[in-house]
Amino acid sequence: MIILMVIILIFLVLMGLPIFAGILGAAMLGLYSSEVSLSALTIEITRLASSPVLLAIPLFTFAGYLLSRGDTSKRLVRFSKSLFGCIPGGLGVVALVTCSFFTAITGATGITIIALGGLLFPALIEERYQEDFSLGLVTTSGSLGLHFPPSLPIILYGFVSGVSIEKLFLAGLFPGMLMLFMVCMFSVFMGKRWKLEKTAFKFSEFVSSFWAAIWEIPIPFLILLGIYSGFCTATEAATLTVVYVIIIKTLVFKELKIIRDIPGIMIESMKMVGGILIILGAALGFTNYLVDAFVPMTILEFMEGIVDSRIGFLVIMNLFLIVVGCMMDIFSAILIVVPLLMPLAQKFGIDPVHLGVIFLANLGIGYNTPPVGINLFISSARFNKPVLQLYRATLPFLLILLLSLIIITYWPGLSLFLPGLQS
Amino acid sequence: MNILKYIDSIILKIEQLLVIISLTFMVILTSVNVILRALYTHAHIQWANTVLSRVDWSEPFARLLVLWVAFLGASLLTNENRHIRIEIPGVMRSPRWSTIREFVLSFACVIICLFMVKASVDYLSIEMKYSSSMILGLPGWIFQLIIPMGFSIMLFRFLINGLKNLIFLLKSRSI
Repeated sequence: MIILMVIILIFLVLMGLPIFAGILGAAMLGLYSSEVSLSALTIEITRLASSPVLLAIPLFTFAGYLLSRGDTSKRLVRFSKSLFGCIPGGLGVVALVTCSFFTAITGATGITIIALGGLLFPALIEERYQEDFSLGLVTTSGSLGLHFPPSLPIILYGFVSGVSIEKLFLAGLFPGMLMLFMVCMFSVFMGKRWKLEKTAFKFSEFVSSFWAAIWEIPIPFLILLGIYSGFCTATEAATLTVVYVIIIKTLVFKELKIIRDIPGIMIESMKMVGGILIILGAALGFTNYLVDAFVPMTILEFMEGIVDSRIGFLVIMNLFLIVVGCMMDIFSAILIVVPLLMPLAQKFGIDPVHLGVIFLANLGIGYNTPPVGINLFISSARFNKPVLQLYRATLPFLLILLLSLIIITYWPGLSLFLPGLQS
Repeated sequence: MNILKYIDSIILKIEQLLVIISLTFMVILTSVNVILRALYTHAHIQWANTVLSRVDWSEPFARLLVLWVAFLGASLLTNENRHIRIEIPGVMRSPRWSTIREFVLSFACVIICLFMVKASVDYLSIEMKYSSSMILGLPGWIFQLIIPMGFSIMLFRFLINGLKNLIFLLKSRSI
């Protein structure tokens, strides 16, 4: 009977049952079969109110939504254009850098392609970049920047794994830059090959575009500085960011009106937060059941029978996470998979901080992986192109990102160097 | 059906108002806390510490607000049928099949929410009896009421969505 129910549930989830309902259903079946009261689930859900870390999620998301309104994205593009426009393939670099910056400050919630793509894609085409290249570039850029503070997936990983967010923010810096750098180099290479026009570097334009974006560019650096100087925690940095962004958007740029615009943005951003946190609540209940039922232990024993080396485990994990990443959004994936993989990773001697960095890189790549990576569909809808064309367009970028994933996975020092300095 | 939609629209207004209030409080409480603490530790201003000790309830309260925005946000998302889900392209995309699919999925969600309402009511009734945690002079369980409320509203909305699809199915069959 239970098995039949499980099969039905899996079928429903694949048909598009909301993930939170799927997880709750699974937890209920589990609790029912081990004869535990369902109110155990509610106890776990109340843990949403137990951690100061979780406060950072609504706050950073709200700040990100505020920033995505108005002309912040235009100012950022203009500034990076003045900086990178002079190198071959410069506009591609501009697109990648701005997108990853934007992904970081908007909390990696998929807003990037929608907010910036419409601006960057036509610009790339106009400068005679190939259509496929431009599409692939804009699509993959949506998953770059996941590693930079204050990215929400990092915070979520920290909460689920119990690793300090401060350490994770530091650990992600080099790997994030590596991914960004490798894709940028591809753009430079293609720019050279196609002999695209370059715009000469003008110091006056550099200064004036920097001046125009002077309020927005420092945000991620201020967050980092605030946290690592010991001035504030990640959560406190989040609340200060909100206050700061409200001030610059309403008083400095006058792009938003407190009464007219802010309430609407609050509601929109909290829908996003609700969507993630309800899954988190459900996942807390579900993993609690899994641990009680010794599921991670069973997987551990099973895996020990298959692989006996660190490398072997990492290879299997990479492959597994790519599949997970293209089936699920990054938030659900972290919530469900991290508790299952943590004991395994520990067993094979993988640092939980390094594991977090691998997770983000891996799941981000999953976003662009055919046949069902979500970025492909967002792009397809946004730019009105067939999904098949996007499969082809993103392929070279995907291969480069996979290469960077291999480096990130098998070179722990890249991630662990900075946090090591701190302690 | 119309009366259900009317009730839904009223709930929607209240929820939106609550989201705005909760988030505003969250931002104000947390930011005031940071600023006061900074004033005390970095500028050694004494009254900042006095105020801080007066508002020691604000941190747990702000954390409870996370629970509130989580459930309010989730039920608002239900209203638009926009919950995070796995979407496999090309599966049941014809209008008729997608209506059937939506009906089945909504129905499944109604059942799951129903169990969650019961589970959270059970939990709260135990809390009411035995828990002694107090915030702002109110017992802690009052703030957790959002859990059964949130699941009830989601149940209600999944029900409306299910009925809507069912009616559509029945109508399209009779044509």
